[in-house]
Amino acid sequence: MGATTSVHRTIDAVWRMESAKVIAALARYTRDVGLAEEMAQDALVAALEQWQAEGVPKNPGAWLMTTAKRRAIDQIRRRENFNRKVEEIGREVQEATPDASEGVDDEIGDDLLSLIFTACHPVLGTEARVALTLKMLGGLKTEEIARAFLVSDSTVAQRIVRAKKALSDAGVPFEVPEGPELATRLASVLEVIYLIFNEGYSATQGDDWMRPELCAEALRLGRVLAELAPKEAEVHSLVALMEIQASRSKARTGPGGEPVLLLEQDRGKWDWLLIGRGLKALERAEALNQPPGPYYVQAALAACHGRARRAEDTDWQRIATLYEVLGRISPSPIVELNRAVALSMAFGPAAGLALVDEISGAKALQGYHLLPSVRGDFLLKLGRAEEAKAEFEKAAKLTRNEREKTLLLERAAACGN
Amino acid sequence: MRFMVFVRSPKPLAALHTDALLRAGVLLDSGDLVPHAFGVTGYWLIDVRSREEAVERVKRIPLPACVVEIRQVAVV
Repeated sequence: MGATTSVHRTIDAVWRMESAKVIAALARYTRDVGLAEEMAQDALVAALEQWQAEGVPKNPGAWLMTTAKRRAIDQIRRRENFNRKVEEIGREVQEATPDASEGVDDEIGDDLLSLIFTACHPVLGTEARVALTLKMLGGLKTEEIARAFLVSDSTVAQRIVRAKKALSDAGVPFEVPEGPELATRLASVLEVIYLIFNEGYSATQGDDWMRPELCAEALRLGRVLAELAPKEAEVHSLVALMEIQASRSKARTGPGGEPVLLLEQDRGKWDWLLIGRGLKALERAEALNQPPGPYYVQAALAACHGRARRAEDTDWQRIATLYEVLGRISPSPIVELNRAVALSMAFGPAAGLALVDEISGAKALQGYHLLPSVRGDFLLKLGRAEEAKAEFEKAAKLTRNEREKTLLLERAAACGN
Repeated sequence: MRFMVFVRSPKPLAALHTDALLRAGVLLDSGDLVPHAFGVTGYWLIDVRSREEAVERVKRIPLPACVVEIRQVAVV
């Protein structure tokens, strides 16, 4: 019994390590990601049977690869679809069988990259892209994805089936996009990875352990992508952003699970190893000398905090400048509001207030509680307590979060009469 | 979960192939330790999903005549 579970766990580990490579290599021949994934699953079932009886082979990755390729041939034959594909794969298996271990890692890069781009193809909806990526690239089981996203197994299974069908219906080619298409396709990939990360990051105490695990999953995917596409600055930037955000995971909630604001966090609880990794990834992005993209600016902002051992060491001038850059890349009143806060930290509350008053008419900020809350803060610092009080009360009315409401009313009360 | 992999090798550690760990996105850190009676020593810090994965990943690295110890890093 004990031996069985131990073999099971080893097979699980091997699967997670190898499945993406197996699916990617198969997809190159079958030109059908869905079929490739099925064949890889079949190989896993075969592995479970055989390895439990005979032990895990010396090179389990090559075993899975060869078995899956044989299954692919069988399957295609069974479908009476004799065409060139069969011969191609046949030849490949013959060549690969003696020792498929060599070179598997070296030639697989392009296939893996193609698989990532296919799983994150914009023809698919966000949820489908996320599910397919975790399943095919992360090697997660359907039920693990379901638990991580708090949905039922059948929901995830359906998403995956539909996604595979949509890819095949749309005739999405299994390849790495080139030219002008590359930028939008890459953006789609990065979006999926960051979504997975944020889903894990938003997990709260008491959630299934699979949820925070999504952060680690996204980080690994990002790092893998950075090795596969080392010349893309935005990939390194996203990795930097995730490493630095992840570094704060132990400091960002208090003992009761309540959120702790960045500037109030105990920086001793930050993971400085991850911060160091994030800063290094950011350097790699900078060394490529590409125009700053949205992930670069966000990572650079996170790095400003990551470089400060104490909150008071934060380089607010640089933060204000970065928000200005971000405002040019993706203009938004929220970004401007953040810039106002940075300006006030760097140059005093009057500088912040000037910008807030400039943007307060923006449509997107109407009804947004942080606008009066930030404005109140600046006014209070400027000694205009009465006006500040009114702003805090306004903010308290706008927020839907009870904890925040209490906090704002307390601040209003502290302003005196 | 994180694992510290201690390697004692008769050859310089730089000659060992850790590419696979890097490409898999699991290598967080690596470094040399002060030489040991046995030979050169160093460590890899990896972030993987299970103890079995740590073992499987290290098993794939050719480590001729090396002594390897894999220890899980405690979560504080």
